[in-house]
Amino acid sequence: MALDGDTIAAVATPPGRGGVGIVRISGPRARDVMQAVTRAAASPRRAQLRDFLDPSGAIIDRGIVLFFPGPASFTGEDVAELQGHGGPVVMDLLLEACLSAGARFARPGEFSERAFVNGKLDLVQAEAVADLIASASKGAARAAMRSLSGDFSRRITELAEAVLNLRIFVEAAIDFPEEEVDFLSTGNVKTQLDDIAANLATLIGGATQGALRTEGWQVVIAGRPNAGKSSLLNRLAGSDRAIVTDVPGTTRDVLRERIDLGGLPLIVVDTAGLRASLDRVEQEGVRRARAEVSTADHLLLVCDPLESEDPLTLINQESLDHLRLTVVENKTDLSGLPVGIVAGASPPRLRLSALTGAGFEALEAHLKAVAGYRDDEGGFSARRRHLDGLRRAQDHVERARAALSSMLAGELVAEDLRAAHQALGEIVGETTSDDLLGAIFASFCIGK
Amino acid sequence: MRFPDSFDVIVIGGGHAGTEAAAAAARMGAQTLHLTMSIETIGAMSCNPAIGGIGKSHLVREIDALDGIMARATDRAGIQFRVLNGSKGPAVRATRAQADRVLYRGAVRELLESTDNLKIFQQAVVDLVVEDGRIAGVVTQTGLTFRAPAVVLTTGTFLGGRIHVGLTHHPGGRAGDAPSNALAERLRALPFKVDRLKTGTPPRIDGRTVDFGVMTAQPGDEPAPVMSLLGSRAEHPRQVPCHITHTNGETHAVIREGLDRSPMYTGVIEGIGPRYCPSIEDKVVRFADKSSHQVFVEPEGLTTQELYPNGISTSLPFDVQLRAVRTIAGFERAHITRPGYAIEYDFFDPRDLAPSLETKVLEGLFFAGQINGTTGYEEAAAQGLLAGINAALKVSGRAPWCPRRDEAYIGVLVDDLTSRGTNEPYRMFTSRAEFRLRLREDNADLRLTGIGHTLGVVGRTRWQSFTTKSSAIDALRAALKSATVVPGSVLAQTIEGACGERVSNATDLLAVLRRPAVKIDALVAALKLPEVAADVANQVEVQTKYDGYIARQQGEIDRLARHEATALPRSLEYAAIDGLSAELKQKLAAARPETLARAARIPGITPAALSLLLVHARRLREQA
Repeated sequence: MALDGDTIAAVATPPGRGGVGIVRISGPRARDVMQAVTRAAASPRRAQLRDFLDPSGAIIDRGIVLFFPGPASFTGEDVAELQGHGGPVVMDLLLEACLSAGARFARPGEFSERAFVNGKLDLVQAEAVADLIASASKGAARAAMRSLSGDFSRRITELAEAVLNLRIFVEAAIDFPEEEVDFLSTGNVKTQLDDIAANLATLIGGATQGALRTEGWQVVIAGRPNAGKSSLLNRLAGSDRAIVTDVPGTTRDVLRERIDLGGLPLIVVDTAGLRASLDRVEQEGVRRARAEVSTADHLLLVCDPLESEDPLTLINQESLDHLRLTVVENKTDLSGLPVGIVAGASPPRLRLSALTGAGFEALEAHLKAVAGYRDDEGGFSARRRHLDGLRRAQDHVERARAALSSMLAGELVAEDLRAAHQALGEIVGETTSDDLLGAIFASFCIGK
Repeated sequence: MRFPDSFDVIVIGGGHAGTEAAAAAARMGAQTLHLTMSIETIGAMSCNPAIGGIGKSHLVREIDALDGIMARATDRAGIQFRVLNGSKGPAVRATRAQADRVLYRGAVRELLESTDNLKIFQQAVVDLVVEDGRIAGVVTQTGLTFRAPAVVLTTGTFLGGRIHVGLTHHPGGRAGDAPSNALAERLRALPFKVDRLKTGTPPRIDGRTVDFGVMTAQPGDEPAPVMSLLGSRAEHPRQVPCHITHTNGETHAVIREGLDRSPMYTGVIEGIGPRYCPSIEDKVVRFADKSSHQVFVEPEGLTTQELYPNGISTSLPFDVQLRAVRTIAGFERAHITRPGYAIEYDFFDPRDLAPSLETKVLEGLFFAGQINGTTGYEEAAAQGLLAGINAALKVSGRAPWCPRRDEAYIGVLVDDLTSRGTNEPYRMFTSRAEFRLRLREDNADLRLTGIGHTLGVVGRTRWQSFTTKSSAIDALRAALKSATVVPGSVLAQTIEGACGERVSNATDLLAVLRRPAVKIDALVAALKLPEVAADVANQVEVQTKYDGYIARQQGEIDRLARHEATALPRSLEYAAIDGLSAELKQKLAAARPETLARAARIPGITPAALSLLLVHARRLREQA
């Protein structure tokens, strides 16, 4: 028994660039989902080498499949495992293929929960399950918050508002038929519904084609010229992405690098050194650098230990108030100071050498900590969850359009709009029927 | 003195909740005493003279499916019947009846007086008998003590009732009746959370002073719909039309001038009124850009000239009421027979109730109706019925019956109230029901009569009518299922001719019926089946066409059923559960939900939080 009859899927290995990544599927349709992804029959308890395909038939990866019929499985239900090459993008595509084949995205800790409910775990292990669900859901909540930043979030919120606005008219027409308002024509129901469908399609299209995948936690590197900003980027990226010289002012534009920092997807932005310059190109670089600083999720303010001036003076007071930043004291190879976090410093201060790489483990741990990152649910999963919600909303909106054209706005249109709203609500927060009624009463003069 | 006879269940209050509660408990076989302040006002309609409407008629059909009174009384008293939302789909289709107040009251009293195990007694209750922390009986104004292990309290707006007309106010439970202040004081001493609500009525008008010629007549539907499975059109009294008129700019100007003497706008009234039933002064102020509002002119009955102008409920001073009314088309010479008024009354936070409607504070004490913060006869009656059933179950040592949200609007109503509470008079709307497509008027009996039969609340006559109907439905489905139509056959041609749909492969007729354009009458005729009753044919058609939609909700329903079946131990320490937000811990600790399903209804709860509760509940049980 599960809390519901759904078949669930999730990436079972910690996110990151590990060698092997596993997508696990559990539930009554596990076998179907696995066969849809591999286009091949599954033999119980035998490792088989298979191609993994997306719904269009394109090969995502090649790896091992395993199928465990219930109840002799981890969760007690039918369980399938797809073992592919780790790495967030492949794992994400593989998960997406499973979701299109009819699985639902598992909640954090849900596999263990099912194992527990099905009597696969003892009382002591149950303690651990409770802890796991607790910590995993906290991590997921943070991941969801992160991935809901910016434009993506604004557009989903707008969409949910548009659906609410439409439902106001459709539901008012149903619950208040004796009012003298023609809710359906006043509300331009058809136009509104078409707009919602179009916006959903754009949002999903953009998200699927990678707009979402390039999102990440923006870490901006700034500091005085020649503090070693580009070296820091190169060391983080593990490549010579930025041109590094000892000529101050080498980086005149902004450089962006997508980095997977042990599973934490980062967009690291290297900026021109902050200084007054007569060079027009460099002036523009400085202007852009300041713009990046003001929108950063986190700022690494790099300084040379030999600098006499406090690096914090580079940032204006207004930005300092809302920025999250870490002062990075570079060049320990020259200063001879010990690497790592400087105890008691505020804002946090970290010593490292971009030249030798000393102190980078501390930097990674520090960045993960300030990002609220945990290894249990990465940003990819969170965004996949949102995309899953958007797709279900789209499915219902399309049904509502079909119902509207074939039988006008009645209870069937209302039903699909409710379901679409619910799917969006899983991303931006629930709207109760009482909220809906409240919106109706606020919009129309209703009642005898 | 102690009354010599003892009872199983005592019901206090003669309104719509009280009458259904008393009748239901008695039908269940409990020796029931029905106590009311006045036998004459049993079944009185204190507000507008109508039963049903969107969401409400769904409740009426459910009450009927459980053999209650309301639908049967409506068929005997309805003087104008209409079907609303006819074109928006069977689930939101609703029936509304204008009722003759005198006939309605009479029908209710007659039905009560013909119920076995039920005794009626006229006397105001002033005190409760509490023994060993549970209810043991009640005491009336003359010191009579009646004993019973279960008591259902349905005191409506009578607890601490205060009537406002303009800036003057006086204690009252309904215009002309005294409130129950002694009982209100007694209840306030118990640890219930008490708050105030407000509702209002319009001034009533003498029909002889009204010009109907300038209004739009609104006749009932032909043929008139019937409310009860046991009812018939032949029971309906003479049918009369309603009329519609409108307020205008002049009306609104008069109202605005009078606002400085409005108890609402001067802060005299503290209670919160319903948003969907605003007073006319509220409409004028809040929707200032609307130049006119509808007024439904409803007859109060066949033997009176009095009219109920629905849409202009008000608590403005009488002189303003009179001037405002006389600006309305057709009301220029109107004589007001009773002033409109607002009434403020006590209600008890329904979150202090279990889903059986038994109070958590005092074992054996049940609350039903407006006392729980609802408004409307139908909402009250539905609760009364449920409380009556559960009081009788309690006395006989059986587990309570708590209908789920996917089973009945009664379930939605009680679950909304007891898990979320309310801060305005709660009224049913179909949009409150997430399983709306299943909870139709047309299948209320199929959903509930079987359950009611098992519980023992459904009498023999109804059970026979119901089984006749349901076997006819099964037989018709089976006939359609077993009939195959082959392309090009005579049957196919007949169907194509009648419905304009092509039959392109061999299929059974139930599958053909799924198509939107195919009507069941055409199939019945094509198969030359013996004549089937309209409600039977309609049921088979709706079921078939909605199968797909209902199936889509099945997952959600299964989940709800499982959550409902998962009890949360009272000893669960929410504060100690890691992973719950502080806010959720607080809400859960306050609500102490009985089941996982009720926890799921707490605003802000997440799937992960539910998983946590499930795991912790199970651990507690396994440790025990």
